Amino acid sequence: MKDSPARITLEEWDARYAELRVAGLREPWYGGPLRRHVDEGGDYRLLRLRYDNSAAALRLWNFLLTEEDRLKEARRQGKKLVGAMKDLGTVPVMAYSLANVTAFYPDGAWWIPCVMELSSRDLEIADSLGIDESFCPVRAMLGAFLTEAHFPIPDLLTCNVGATCDDFSAIAQRLNGLGFPILWWETPHRRQPDSAAGEESVPLPGGLIAPREQVDFVRSELERVRGAIEEVAGGRLDDAALRDGIRVANRMRRVLAELRQLAYSAPVCPIPALEMLIAEMLALHFCSDREEAIRVLEELLEEARRRVGEGVGPLRKDAVRVFWVNPVADLRAMNILEDCGGRVCGTEYLFSHALDPIPEDVAPMEALARTALADPMVGPCSDRADRICRDIQLFGAEAVLVSRIPGASHCAVEGAVIHETVRKRLGLPVQEIEVPPLCDAVAPTIRTRIEALIEIVKGRRKP
Amino acid sequence: MIFGGIDAGSRAIKAVLWDLKRGEVLASGVCDQGVRQEALAHDLFQKLLDDAGIGADDVERTVATGYGRNLIGFADATITEITCHARGVRHLAPEARTVIDIGGQDSKVIRLSAKGMVQDFAMNDRCAAGTGRFLEVVSARLGVEAGELGDLASRSISPAPISSMCVVFAETEIVGLLASGAPPEDIVAGVQHSIAQRVAGMAGRNVEEPVLFTGGVALVSGMAAALEAVFKKPVRVAANPQFTGALGAALLAASHS
Repeated sequence: MKDSPARITLEEWDARYAELRVAGLREPWYGGPLRRHVDEGGDYRLLRLRYDNSAAALRLWNFLLTEEDRLKEARRQGKKLVGAMKDLGTVPVMAYSLANVTAFYPDGAWWIPCVMELSSRDLEIADSLGIDESFCPVRAMLGAFLTEAHFPIPDLLTCNVGATCDDFSAIAQRLNGLGFPILWWETPHRRQPDSAAGEESVPLPGGLIAPREQVDFVRSELERVRGAIEEVAGGRLDDAALRDGIRVANRMRRVLAELRQLAYSAPVCPIPALEMLIAEMLALHFCSDREEAIRVLEELLEEARRRVGEGVGPLRKDAVRVFWVNPVADLRAMNILEDCGGRVCGTEYLFSHALDPIPEDVAPMEALARTALADPMVGPCSDRADRICRDIQLFGAEAVLVSRIPGASHCAVEGAVIHETVRKRLGLPVQEIEVPPLCDAVAPTIRTRIEALIEIVKGRRKP
Repeated sequence: MIFGGIDAGSRAIKAVLWDLKRGEVLASGVCDQGVRQEALAHDLFQKLLDDAGIGADDVERTVATGYGRNLIGFADATITEITCHARGVRHLAPEARTVIDIGGQDSKVIRLSAKGMVQDFAMNDRCAAGTGRFLEVVSARLGVEAGELGDLASRSISPAPISSMCVVFAETEIVGLLASGAPPEDIVAGVQHSIAQRVAGMAGRNVEEPVLFTGGVALVSGMAAALEAVFKKPVRVAANPQFTGALGAALLAASHS
């Protein structure tokens, strides 16, 4: 069996899977060939993607694509389900601190139109409810709630609002209006402490600061969420349980941090962009099984370590190192970058606060409040641009790609701010692309921009 | 040694034969774009070879660029139009620091270093506002040839205000302006101003001089003036602006051989 790393198609995965089985592949209950997600689940986009050929990547994909099954099983077992909307890594940490509660991320439905190539009709349902394509593709969530085809209706639905995304807030309000009660919790626009007025400055994850007043406010909002989770769970969510929950979440974040460090800084890229995107997403909500999510990432990390040690990877050694900003609505975009001769060296998918360790040296609710307030979306664009510049230097990126999400209000101006900051501070070329849920029709345009970016970097490399 | 450059644009295919030894263009030509892109490009290229009195074997290497570049199977390599335009401009006006290229369906602003290397670029998004398509719409609505638009615009006293956001909306505005009796020359001048504004918005605040204007739309008289008015900087039209990308492709073919 050939074990050299490669990016392969779904068709090639059929043969690869057979090879791995013959070689003694041991799989968890959700294992199996990738193709079954097309045949049984209608995930037609998988036919057009290219994947890493490792057993670890297979497990990652299978884990991701069986979340619906896990949620149904959790419901069958009588577990309470918390749908944590517009929440990137805070409420799930609280929810998983209780044994009989599972949290998930209904916003994840924004990828369903892509993965199922619009066959799920979720966007059409959103259209019929007046939430048309001028809104972010996360509107697909409305269809998912109404059809109940992708996840069970949660026992508790929370939504973070305030200085977050306008589109999301509008979509969630529409959902509320359709008869799905939501517990709203607010995060204010993060600001600098007013030292002249004697405001206490509180350190947040990611090197940020906020005034004590804001941290206290978010903590009080999260206390309401804690109360609601306790009510649904029928048990107390005490500080000791929360501390344990934070500790486990941080274990996962540490695994991911090491994986990112290896994948983005190694001379030869060990893990492709698509698998890294999914790995990073696991940090938000654990794909409905916290312990298994950690094991899945650990296996991927092990594969990355092996490849880095051997100096091998699925991409060329001279691939142009690109820092990627914002997640994409169509997963194929990540493939396109690599097809054009690039590799991802650093990301800022609007949830960098979910990758940073949650403070363990303060009271747990204080720690979670600080984490929530470090959300890149609730702060000024300049804070985000600062972090991007810092991480670009950390990972040695040579260019920046800002991926816009059609209709997403938070993307309106931040691209220009990031572009200007990166250009002035680091002198790197920056390109913006817009990636709709299915990018096939605009793929030539996206490809041209990425190829040109890569040509610029290669031109700069020449002595 | 002869090198070929083919720019398969959205509206037209342009081709250039470059004589490296003599340092000059041996032949150039243009034809309308169509469904059978490769066949059209092949026929055009063959015509150039015939005009120059050489055979295909005499061409050392050919580079294809433009949005249809990947369909030109007989090219030896493909390079994006951004890099090719920059290379063409470096040859025509090495001092240029900004390139404004407006073609049939897209427009771009390319920032060059002092050595003529691409520093950064911006392209229009999905809408054809700020491109030659806008001029085609207005010429169809007014019943005039594209080549007459510049002369018409030069007679305008008061350019009509037209949205720069969307070609479809703008067409509706043109219909409304015609219905309200706005003179055609003011409408054309308004469209030219609108295109210039769109391109300026794309360029942002960092437009360094000298500015060179390339692409088929640079052939439309009045457009350079409209850009100058919006950018508040001198804008020079490149020599044979439509061929800048193809020339750059041929020059890159020579340098990569």
